[in-house]
Amino acid sequence: MKLYYYFVIIIFFLIPNQLFADEPSNWLKNEIDKILMAYQNKELPNENRFLMIEQTINNNFAGTGIAKFVAGESWAAANNDTKKEYIKNFKRHLALNIASMMQGYSDQNYKLSKSKIDQKNQIILIDMEIFSETGSVVVTWRVKESKNRYFIIDLIVADISLVVTKRSEFNSTLKNVNYNLSKFNKILLEQNNESYQKIIE
Amino acid sequence: MKNKFYIIFFIIFSLNSNVLFGAASDQVNTEPDDFATTKVEDEVYDPIEPINRAIFTFNNAADRIVLEPIAKGYKKLPSPIQSGISNFLSNLRAPLVVVNQILQGQGGNAVQSTGRFLVNSTVGVFGLFDVADKIGLDEKEEDFGQTLATWGVGDGFYIVLPLFGPSNLRDTTGMVMTMMTDPINAYVVSEGEAWIVPMRTAANAVDQRSKIIDEVNALRDNSVDYYAAVRSSYYQNRKAAINNTNDDELTPLPLISIEFE
Repeated sequence: MKLYYYFVIIIFFLIPNQLFADEPSNWLKNEIDKILMAYQNKELPNENRFLMIEQTINNNFAGTGIAKFVAGESWAAANNDTKKEYIKNFKRHLALNIASMMQGYSDQNYKLSKSKIDQKNQIILIDMEIFSETGSVVVTWRVKESKNRYFIIDLIVADISLVVTKRSEFNSTLKNVNYNLSKFNKILLEQNNESYQKIIE
Repeated sequence: MKNKFYIIFFIIFSLNSNVLFGAASDQVNTEPDDFATTKVEDEVYDPIEPINRAIFTFNNAADRIVLEPIAKGYKKLPSPIQSGISNFLSNLRAPLVVVNQILQGQGGNAVQSTGRFLVNSTVGVFGLFDVADKIGLDEKEEDFGQTLATWGVGDGFYIVLPLFGPSNLRDTTGMVMTMMTDPINAYVVSEGEAWIVPMRTAANAVDQRSKIIDEVNALRDNSVDYYAAVRSSYYQNRKAAINNTNDDELTPLPLISIEFE
């Protein structure tokens, strides 16, 4: 019985995304379910749970684009190796942020309540309503389509954009290191290690 | 046996997920000048940042030691009790919400909020039950900070208030106006029961904090600069509240392009 359960989980994670991508809401629901399922499976070791979630996030977020956006002006002056290292660090940072946020929602019900297309910017907005016993919270996912694939470019909770907040936060730290991306990489790596320890403990 | 299973599971998972759909996202590339083309504001006017950071550190410690544990305890109360307290506190704010809606020229909303207050104060047993919501009278929050902004008063500089948290010059003025004009506070003070005022403020803080425990922890645990993250969050949230942002007018759209190599 237990083996059957694991088998179902493996198959679920391995099914190609595009089978669910008839429309963006279905695709997003499938990806969110993967993350929540990882949290709901209490038998998974924390390290492995996070790796699964990180994989899902990296597959579905426009990580490089967001990394570059939040780096702001420091991006231009950095060399290629620094940029590569920064993107790698940022992707993990993004995964840690999303995983940490979704952890709080893992025992709650949700529904994707609304989906609309921002024609001007060619962005798909999908509202996710998360229900608790005392109310609900709406998370809006900003999704962009590229070459028949969907990528999440931002998510908004209580009118607060994750990407805009990260850019402001990074900008403040970058200012202290004279917008040197190489120095910033060390700070980001250190923060990632700290966050990682918290999420797996 | 269990460990072996996990190892096999993750090898298969990692290999396949990369092959099937992981590779494409790793090759996402962007235009070289994306960072320069964005219109998103990065800087918040914060001339007293060193002082603000010191107060923020104090507030953060107070939150960890006092507010968060109390809010977590409050979260363990049966949900009808939590909802009752939250509804009651919210109903007490309603008269000033109506005043601010009138001052902002939101006649329709003011009528609706008055209706909410009357229904919830009577049928809803002194506001313990949000009956009005069930008959379509939605809750809308307005305060003096928002009213001043509507009248054209600028943000002023960013301030972190001891215990009260992030604010700015305009919103702090609004908060003082709220304290001075709140009819419930005025009534309890006139009755010689002034102790109720700080108790009410504390209850509001616990109630509000209990609703964002996970979000605050996620932000706190994963920020390279928690102070800057809170500052940005505060401004985004206030901007949306002032503009009465609906779903169609979200925060500014970051210009993030996606290209494949």
